[in-house]
Amino acid sequence: MNRSDALIEIDGIRKSFGTFEVLKGISLNVSKGEAVCIIGPSGSGKSTILRCINGLIPINEGFIRVGNHRVHEMRSEKAMRPLRHQVAMVFQQYNLFPHRTALENIMMAPIQVLGHDKAEVEDRARKLLAKVRLSEKADSYPGQLSGGQQQRVAIARALAMQPDIILFDEVTAALDPETVKEVLFTIRQLVEEGLTCVLVTHEMKFAREVSHRVCFTDRGMIVESAPPAEFFDNPQDPRTREFLGQVL
Amino acid sequence: MTYENKKRAVLLLIALAVVAWIAVDAAAGGAQYWARVWLRLPLLLTGSGSGWPITGGFILNILLSIASMAVATALGTVMGLATLAKSPIIRLPSFFIMNFLRNSPWLVLLFAMLYILPFEMKVFGLVIPFPPFVKAVIGLALPTAANFSEVIRGAVQSIHSGQWEASRSLGYTQMQIYRYVILPQAFRRMIPGWMNLYALLMIATALATVTGIQDVLTILNTSLAMESDRVIVYFYLTILFLFFAYCYPIAIFARRLENAVKGDNL
Repeated sequence: MNRSDALIEIDGIRKSFGTFEVLKGISLNVSKGEAVCIIGPSGSGKSTILRCINGLIPINEGFIRVGNHRVHEMRSEKAMRPLRHQVAMVFQQYNLFPHRTALENIMMAPIQVLGHDKAEVEDRARKLLAKVRLSEKADSYPGQLSGGQQQRVAIARALAMQPDIILFDEVTAALDPETVKEVLFTIRQLVEEGLTCVLVTHEMKFAREVSHRVCFTDRGMIVESAPPAEFFDNPQDPRTREFLGQVL
Repeated sequence: MTYENKKRAVLLLIALAVVAWIAVDAAAGGAQYWARVWLRLPLLLTGSGSGWPITGGFILNILLSIASMAVATALGTVMGLATLAKSPIIRLPSFFIMNFLRNSPWLVLLFAMLYILPFEMKVFGLVIPFPPFVKAVIGLALPTAANFSEVIRGAVQSIHSGQWEASRSLGYTQMQIYRYVILPQAFRRMIPGWMNLYALLMIATALATVTGIQDVLTILNTSLAMESDRVIVYFYLTILFLFFAYCYPIAIFARRLENAVKGDNL
């Protein structure tokens, strides 16, 4: 892949929490419109990679570029602002704002952070709610919604920022199997529309169907990276084989 | 019988016992003492024998508690947010002041205000007087503010870290996160603590008698000079009941709110 074309470029990043080194030199490129799944055992640094991409966690060493932003050089939250505009994130625990309705959750950041016109944002928010098929829940508070519904509102909230990239951090891990489907359906739609997505997931079937590339992380390293068909049918690394043998 | 019903029954029994004791005592000659108390009640409540105008008494204690709470709330909010600041230049001094005030006896702080604060202060030719009432307000507000700042800190820190992460990922700045996300949620959790603190402050207003304001205790002490030893007990019981009747409902209400907001994510 031509490095300069990549939308996200990660090169040799290292990150330690205390004495524990979570990331031991991760390199990864993601092109525009690509959907990359990161899978791997718990504690292998999957979620940390996502948080480094949008600057939530500062790295110790290495290079991260997202679009025109050189993330590893940014120091203040203020400098991160344009980056955060370009990169949205959806969390395992939804993290909706419990004191605001679903519609307000979606409208808040575009108005308060981006300074967009309120009427225009409301229009956009209602369209997004329709897209995640929750139009009738506009005035519900997060506490009144099921997990799957909350997660779809969270996806709509991320989309309202009109990002180029969305990071999904184990977004179905806290959901029951029934509601997982609703959320995956929404994500699949986004991938098909050509939005660049980086997904940390435990849904192997989904990773296989939706992603363009699958990365396997283990102990802070990317062990294997391949298109899904190749990755699942003919894994090269013994550790990948062992992991897939356990989960499939 | 459920635990709640048992508790209610015991409380009712205690209340009945107190009423019975008062009735028996009144029949045995306590009635004349109660009559003395009744005669003095307008004085104890308002500071004037006829009940008007209000110059002190228990109503002054209430005014004092309200004024102190207003000052304490404003001061405590500033102090609470300062102890949460990222910069150690702001955080450490406020942390030190907060702990100092929280661990000082209230009575000592009141005495200190009495002697530290001047009788009046001149600012740009303007003379600002410091009457005893103002000194009492400041003396009581300081420890209350320190305790309230801890209530704020606790409420803010009890907000799930995911809220911070989500707001940061949406591009909010630190100040905006407090304003739009954290404080609106923390506010609900502060109310019970704030009310508890108010009940405590109201009880502590009795200490303000050392500043010489005409509060219920000062008036009682002055008027007791003319009363017999035996009747003193009845006067003090009355004062205790006044404070109890004012503070207990607040404490009960605060506890209800506390249960209502516990573990709720709405």
